[in-house]
Formats: sequence, structure tokens, C-alpha cells
Amino acid sequence: MITMAGTLDFLSINVWHILMAIGNLLILVLILKKFLFKPVQNIIKQREEEIGKAYSDAGEALEAANAEKELYLKKLDDAKSEADSLIKTASDRAKAESAEIISDAKAEAERRRKNADEDIELAKKKAADEMRDSISEMVISLAEKVVEKEIDPKAHQSLIDEAIDSLGEDS
Amino acid sequence: MSLMEIEVTGAKILFELPFGITITETQVNMWIVMIAIAAVCIWLTHDLKVRPTSKRQIVAEFLVKTAENFVTGNMGLRWKWFVPYIAALFSLAMFSSLISLLGMFAPTGDLNTTLGWAIMTFVLITFYKIKTNGPFGYAKSLTEPIFIMTPMNILGEFATPVSMAFRMFGNIASGTVVSALVYAALAALNNAVFGWLPGILGEMGEKLPILQLGLPAILSLYFDVFSGVLQAFIFCMLTMLYIASAAETDS
Repeated sequence: MITMAGTLDFLSINVWHILMAIGNLLILVLILKKFLFKPVQNIIKQREEEIGKAYSDAGEALEAANAEKELYLKKLDDAKSEADSLIKTASDRAKAESAEIISDAKAEAERRRKNADEDIELAKKKAADEMRDSISEMVISLAEKVVEKEIDPKAHQSLIDEAIDSLGEDS
Repeated sequence: MSLMEIEVTGAKILFELPFGITITETQVNMWIVMIAIAAVCIWLTHDLKVRPTSKRQIVAEFLVKTAENFVTGNMGLRWKWFVPYIAALFSLAMFSSLISLLGMFAPTGDLNTTLGWAIMTFVLITFYKIKTNGPFGYAKSLTEPIFIMTPMNILGEFATPVSMAFRMFGNIASGTVVSALVYAALAALNNAVFGWLPGILGEMGEKLPILQLGLPAILSLYFDVFSGVLQAFIFCMLTMLYIASAAETDS
């Protein structure tokens, strides 16, 4: 095996070459740090921040939406109860009005019935009076014919009325 | 070319500098690898967006995440700062082996390279052992279980980087050696099979590397690709596990 002047032995140790190997490795560490790890880690960090921000924004938006939803539900409830109370008062008023109308109508009917009764009573009385008058006249004229003498209706009026009344009571 | 003329040497010396410093293929090829890695990194990360639109960025983020998971999965989350070191070690070791696919000298086939990296690992292991246990605790641990074991323990400390260095060097360099041997053997066989053909056919048969086409490619697939990636992986795993266990407070 011939070793030429221009080559190292297959197995040779050279301190400078060892140091250069170490130096090369450390330089590559710096290269990788500067050109690969730093930029990529920065961009990943930025992305994480952006995602975190997006999440918190979404959370806030959700919270706001929920708050608004609560508000609208509450408003809806209020509107419902208001409508209920409106309907209730309206129906109450309608009931009260109808009751009033009915009672008015009843009272009116009662009053009319009473009037009618009074009228009947009056008419009855009037008829009775008229009857009594005519009967007394008839009795007087009969009696005049019987006794051929004028009877003073005034003098005997009370007597005649008494007789008629007793007749009416008997009938 | 006959089998007798095969020579297996280290890297070619390209420049000679003062103080006996030589620049060989190992250094130059490693710089080429480093420049290529740096260029790929710059290309991958030159237009990053918070919302990725390019496949480039997805690849860059995948590489970073994979490296982070690889290191923190083996060493724990507090070693996140160590990720670039392991990433650099893995990529440099892997591509320094894979460069032999281009017919260039593999820097990992030079013992000085792997020894340098193993010394880095050794320094870190020892640093963390001393940092965790204190200088006296570390010195005491070398005398355990009995005082007489001290030389063995010290030898054991040095055995770690030496075995790491020789493991990677041996795998890559032996690949080169085996490839060279097989290539030479196939060339000889080529001559034997086609050389006897008469006239121009014989000359062409000697020169055309017909038999050298298939087998070296398969061998290269094993020695350069598989072995190169595997050895880089093993070197990084060992570095991480040794350093993580050196820094464990309970050890």
C-alpha cells in the first residue's frame, strides 16, 4: 500500500482537523438557529398568538351573543306577560260590562214589569170604580122607578157604595 | 487495473496553511455540506407566513417540529435549547455520509471528524456530570463501587467518545473500502469476461464498465444511504441519552 504525499493515511489523527470538525459543527448550530429554528419558531409563536386572539374574540362574541339572546328572551317573556295581562284586563272588563248590561237589563225589565203591574192595578181599580158608578146609577134609577121618587144620590151615596162593596166582596 | 493496485487512503490534502494546518477533502466537503444545508434553510424559511401558503413552509415547520419532538421526547422538555445542536449534528453527519453518493469523499469517513464530534459529546457529558454532582461528587463517582475500580472507571469515561467516534467512522469508511474492493473486483471480472473478445470488441469490453453497473449501486444504497442515516441517528441518540442521564439529579 503506497501513501501518496497528497493524502492522509486511512487512519490518521490531526488535532487541527478535530478542532475544525468541532468548529464546523458549532457553526452549523448557529446557521440552523438563525436560518431555520428562529424564523420557524417565531412564525409558530405568532400563529399561536393569532389563534389565541381568534379564540378569545370568538369567546367574547359568543358571550355577547348569549347576553343579547338572554335580553331578547327576557323581552319576549315581558311581551308575552304584557299581552296576557292585556287580554286578561280586556276580558275582565268585557265580563264586567256584560254583567252590568245584564243587570241593567234585568232592572229595566223589573221596572217595566212593575209599571205594567201598577197599570193593571190602576186599570182594574178604574174599571171597578166605573163599574161601581154605573151599578150605583143603575141601582138608583131602578130604585127611583120602584119608589117613583127621586132619590138624592148624594144622600144615599154612602149607603149604595156599601151595598156594592159587599156585593163585590161576595162575588 | 489489477487487484494488487487497490489503495485505501484517507482524504486528499488540498491546501497547506501555516502552522502545519492542512485543508483536506474532509473540510472542503463538510463546508459544501454546510453551505448546502444553510442554503436549503434560507430557501425554506425565506417567505414565512402566519397562515402558510407554501409547501416550503410546511416542510420547514415539519423539520423544526420533528427535531423538537426528537430531542424533547428523548431528553425532556427542559432540553429544548439543545434542539439546534442535535439538529446540526444529525444533518451534518447524515449529509456528510450521503455526499459519497455524489462520488465525493465522505467527511464522516475521516476519523478526525467523528472524533471531534464525539469529543464534543464527551465534554458535554462530563460538564453535566460535574454540574449535577459537583466536582467532588463526580470524582467520588469514579471511585465507586470500590477505590480499586478508579482506573477502570476513568477508562470507561473515555471509552464512550472513542466508541462513538469509531462506530461512525468504521461504518462509513468500511463502506468506502468495501465499495472500492467490489468495484475493483468487478472491473477485473469485466476484463476477464469481455477482454478476450477479438479486436475492437475486446478493447471496448475492457473499457466499458458493464459489470460495474448493478452491484455497486446496491452496495452504495446500503453503505452510503442506509448506513449513513442510521449512524447519524445512532450518534445523535447516544449523545442525547448520555447527556440527559449525566444531567439527571438522581444518578
